[in-house]
Amino acid sequence: MSVVLAFEDVAFTYTGRPALAGVSFSIASGERVALVGRNGAGKSTLLRLVTGLRHPTSGVVRVGDWDTAGRRPDELARRVGSLFQHADQQLFARTVADDVAFGPRVTGVAAPEISARVERALASLGLTEVAGEHPYDLPPPWRKLAALAGALALEPVLLVLDEPTAGLDRRARDRVATALATRAGNGTALLVVTHDLGFAAETLDRALVLERGRLAWDAPIAELLADAARLEGLGLAAPPLARLSHALMLPGQPVREREVARALAERCRT
Amino acid sequence: MSALVLKGVTYHYPATRAPALADITLAVERGEVVGVIGNTGAGASTLLLVAGDLVPRVLGGELTGTVTRAGRSALLLPTPWTQASGMAFTVRDEVAFGPANLGWPLERIAAAVQRSLARVGASHLEARDPATLSGGELQRVILAGILAMQPDVLLLDEPTAELDPAGAAAVWRLLRELAAEGTAVLVATSELDALPDAADRIVWLAGGRVRAIGPTRAVLSDAALWSDAGPGSTAVAGAWRRAGLDAPPPLTVADALERVR
Repeated sequence: MSVVLAFEDVAFTYTGRPALAGVSFSIASGERVALVGRNGAGKSTLLRLVTGLRHPTSGVVRVGDWDTAGRRPDELARRVGSLFQHADQQLFARTVADDVAFGPRVTGVAAPEISARVERALASLGLTEVAGEHPYDLPPPWRKLAALAGALALEPVLLVLDEPTAGLDRRARDRVATALATRAGNGTALLVVTHDLGFAAETLDRALVLERGRLAWDAPIAELLADAARLEGLGLAAPPLARLSHALMLPGQPVREREVARALAERCRT
Repeated sequence: MSALVLKGVTYHYPATRAPALADITLAVERGEVVGVIGNTGAGASTLLLVAGDLVPRVLGGELTGTVTRAGRSALLLPTPWTQASGMAFTVRDEVAFGPANLGWPLERIAAAVQRSLARVGASHLEARDPATLSGGELQRVILAGILAMQPDVLLLDEPTAELDPAGAAAVWRLLRELAAEGTAVLVATSELDALPDAADRIVWLAGGRVRAIGPTRAVLSDAALWSDAGPGSTAVAGAWRRAGLDAPPPLTVADALERVR
């Protein structure tokens, strides 16, 4: 497993206002990592350091063997696909398909390959039918999906996503989960900012918790969700299925729906 | 008299053939929280725009039927970052923007600003520049600005989308408090797990029509929510159903603990 992303003692200060300090971690290819923490903890700032929209005040951010310090966002886009928290801000083409094609085109992908990637990305998120629509004619949650399709079409080694499921309905959420699992299965590393710990439990494996700009906790998600008191101290809360699993002391303390359902069925049969 | 009444409302956005809302009849009383659920495109956001008098007045389109409101309504958009005035250099001034436009005396504005910032847990942000806030911080501040106007009818579209779990839980508790003070609350959300404790009634929209309306527990227990037209129900109900256990499913962890021994 090669290291796709490494933070080495990273600090970042907005004019006069420190946002991140002493942050060190690394993520290997195929890893599925949640980045969580209360509002204002520094999560979106951390993602901006990965995509090169900001550069560390001190310390080093590496994407593979690249130090981001000398790199522009468009160079980094060859390795990093990203979804902004407010996806409207990253959509600008006249059709959804054109928008999704933009990344591959400017990073030098050959034309026939571009259309194949666009089709794949749109299909995986259920957007094929709206490929010809103007992105701003879509409801806001679907604009988020369109922007995510653009990140997927880059076929990057690392996806950094800011709140990919906010406002999505059940089916769209399931599609996002499946698309991300498929990409991770093919070796793409995932770093996902989310407040939806239920989604994180279903889709991701490891959690990084930021608190006031510092990395407060780095653990498997199931371990994190088992410690209700510590979670609460960090502005977080275990999602319902994790709470149910612990309250019933289900064997293995499952946190994913499929495993909780299986354990519930077992319990109720006996 | 109900705080908000829609009677036979059908609405078309400009230059569209299919109605975004069709034949909606709904009343929201003072003191109750009504949740609106449905898949994306089902009409929940449009319903709030109609209830808040933004369509057809601002966005155009064609509305038939009648909408009546007793008192002032205010709407939190699902895109709070588009809702900042852009004219305030501090959070305090941002939250004061609405009340100032209502022509209130300064003392009343100042008191309303302090109180509503405290209610959304954002007092510590009052001196910050709104442009430097994180997404969740800004969502709280925009909500504070709406509360500061003391609306009789409070309309919210995905009010917890950007909030951390503690902040989201606080907003759901706040909605109950506001209802207890006599506010009528209509809230569209995809956070179905919050509704058993937060909402008195639920409206389920599908294809722009009311598919079901009733007490929260009755609507969220409806097996049809899991059909293609439905948004599903709570996480606990989902796991229960997947386990193949007896309907109706428990909706919350507490319900499930009573059913499993």
